[in-house]
Amino acid sequence: MGVRNSCAVGLGRLTSWGLRRVLHRNASQMPGRVALAVDPNAIAHLAPKLSEGAIVVCGTNGKTTTNNVLANAIERSGRTVLCNRAGANMAAGVAAALLPGSGADWAVMEADELSTIHILPQLQPRYLVLLNLFRDQLDRAGEIDHVQDTIVAALAASPATTLVVCGDDPLSVGVALRAKKAGTKVLAFGIGEDLHLPPDRVPEARFCQVCGAELAYDYRAYAQLGAFRCPNGDFERPKLDFVATGVRVDAHGVAFGVAFPEGGTAHVSASFGGVYMVYNLLAAAAAAHLAGVDAASFQAALDGYHPENGRLQHFTVGGREVVLNLAKNPTGFNQNISLLQTDTRPKAVFFVINDDFNDGKDISWIWDVDFERLLSEKDLLAFAGGHRANDVQVRMKYVGIKAPVASTVGEVLGRLGSVPLDRPLYVLCNYSALWPAKAELEGMGERHD
Amino acid sequence: MSAMTSQATENTTHRGGRTLRIAHLYPELLNLYGDSGNILCLRRRMEWRGITPDVMEVHVDDTPSFSGVDIAFIGGGSDREQRIVCDKLLAEQAEIRAFVEDGGVLAAVCGGYQLLGSSYLMADERVEGLSLVDLYTDHGDPRLIGNIVVESSISPQPIVGYENHAGRTHLGEGVTPLGRVLYGHGNDGVTGYEGVLYKNVVGTYVHGPLLPKNPGVADYLIARSMERKYGTTELEPLDDTEELAANQVMYHRLMAGEVQES
Repeated sequence: MGVRNSCAVGLGRLTSWGLRRVLHRNASQMPGRVALAVDPNAIAHLAPKLSEGAIVVCGTNGKTTTNNVLANAIERSGRTVLCNRAGANMAAGVAAALLPGSGADWAVMEADELSTIHILPQLQPRYLVLLNLFRDQLDRAGEIDHVQDTIVAALAASPATTLVVCGDDPLSVGVALRAKKAGTKVLAFGIGEDLHLPPDRVPEARFCQVCGAELAYDYRAYAQLGAFRCPNGDFERPKLDFVATGVRVDAHGVAFGVAFPEGGTAHVSASFGGVYMVYNLLAAAAAAHLAGVDAASFQAALDGYHPENGRLQHFTVGGREVVLNLAKNPTGFNQNISLLQTDTRPKAVFFVINDDFNDGKDISWIWDVDFERLLSEKDLLAFAGGHRANDVQVRMKYVGIKAPVASTVGEVLGRLGSVPLDRPLYVLCNYSALWPAKAELEGMGERHD
Repeated sequence: MSAMTSQATENTTHRGGRTLRIAHLYPELLNLYGDSGNILCLRRRMEWRGITPDVMEVHVDDTPSFSGVDIAFIGGGSDREQRIVCDKLLAEQAEIRAFVEDGGVLAAVCGGYQLLGSSYLMADERVEGLSLVDLYTDHGDPRLIGNIVVESSISPQPIVGYENHAGRTHLGEGVTPLGRVLYGHGNDGVTGYEGVLYKNVVGTYVHGPLLPKNPGVADYLIARSMERKYGTTELEPLDDTEELAANQVMYHRLMAGEVQES
């Protein structure tokens, strides 16, 4: 560790101490910014403190949950882990999470897709987990092609990294094919059976990454994920190294078996999530397995996993169940609709959409969400919120559902007044709308894990 | 046309049995910015007035025919997808031109708008367009991204939406723009004009999508196609409370400088 890096680390830690202890502020990014300002290679200089190595998790949806489950599992197996648990997933967030302590066995870091180019060359992780690629924040991230190019370039600059990719996602496999040609080792995970779920809309390009022909599917799990192949024979789902079978997805959560590449299986179950969660947990189980975590430790970590970040949190307010979840792009929203439809009770929904910088300022994607599926709900009560409440209301009008504008969760609960208490309220928020809703619910509700 | 999906309900007889056929060009390729919302908007606003919408999706392996089409819609896609579409449509150039010259209604957004002109740039390659309107597109740096408000003769309300384009579109001498930019960038970020109007063609960079929050534009397209097909421009008024509220809220937020664009 050179003088410059010692200085960077020292100043970063001082910033962290000041923010936490003096100002009582969140220190998930600023210490990293300080460290990177003093030493642009701070991540590379901090990496040697990891005795076993690093795992980076990226993908449009599910990063935070997958990353945190994986970090908990590795810890449960008796190793020490540094992790950006709060989801600060750009280079500064990763640098900040690497600062504490003199050493750790593993770093488990989620990375924003476009930040992989700044993180991978520095951190040189042993594994990059690529969960999925969906259209998200076109105004900020650009088109998916650009995101793919960035991840391919990041892997090229980190030659010892093994890519652990969702083999069911043609867009992620497109990245894997290109990386493999350039010498990257690739392992694929996926679901090995037809789940016979009601089909959802495929908002993404479902075209061959080689010739552009429309892909054929033996079966599809959700969005563009499934057993795909190009009719011209030049692109197909790769052989799966980690295969989920015996998959159950219902109102009680998810369960499945995983077969590992060198033989052996494990059973995984969780009391939350829909089919997208099967993929998140399958990815986490695969990475945990590669990091030497035994199946019992993984399941124990999962049993003890209680999200506190607004992802699928359950509350009770005045006797009414309230479910809070993040939904920040069409695929995320469609999966949330699938999830709430596994709950057969009549219900209320509150869709909250902001257009802050972190959300993406362009919300045209709400027209790509398959809200029409809500027409099958009996006695649905819908409300619209956030800076773009009026846009949500218009979207719902064109579905054929009246959605009055409400400013807070409290206001919605008040307006539900005489509606029987056995009808839950689902609050689906995009990124910046999530935190105020979470704070409000924590203030007035009783939390359930 | 047989291969294309047509969702007309054969035996519905609404008032006078009026039907308008909407051709949605290549929805699987050009769908970048909620473009399906534009089609849904046209469909509902026809249904609410007792006009039967017959929405026909033109897919990439179809040979599009414009006979019998009342409103054609073309959206935005990535460069790669736009190129595929342009090659397909160039093969049908004569027929599209005849449709446009005959007063056929054509709405083109973003990438689709660029296809209307004589050429556009893809990377640094000049690609031949459909030459339906006297305009061409090159590109500049930076990309023009952000909310946009346009004052236009075709809409009683300001047109509010979002733009995201590297292209700079230049209109020929005497060509009418869709309107004047009140907020944002428009065609080229310099002239203060946005989009194009030519016969019954509306080209624009405004997505968001364009029509649901700008019911004046949606009704303009419906009225023009009713005039061409049935000789009437009178449309039954609708209750647009929600649409106009969404339009006004964004108009006021933007004009008051309450939205930071970057």
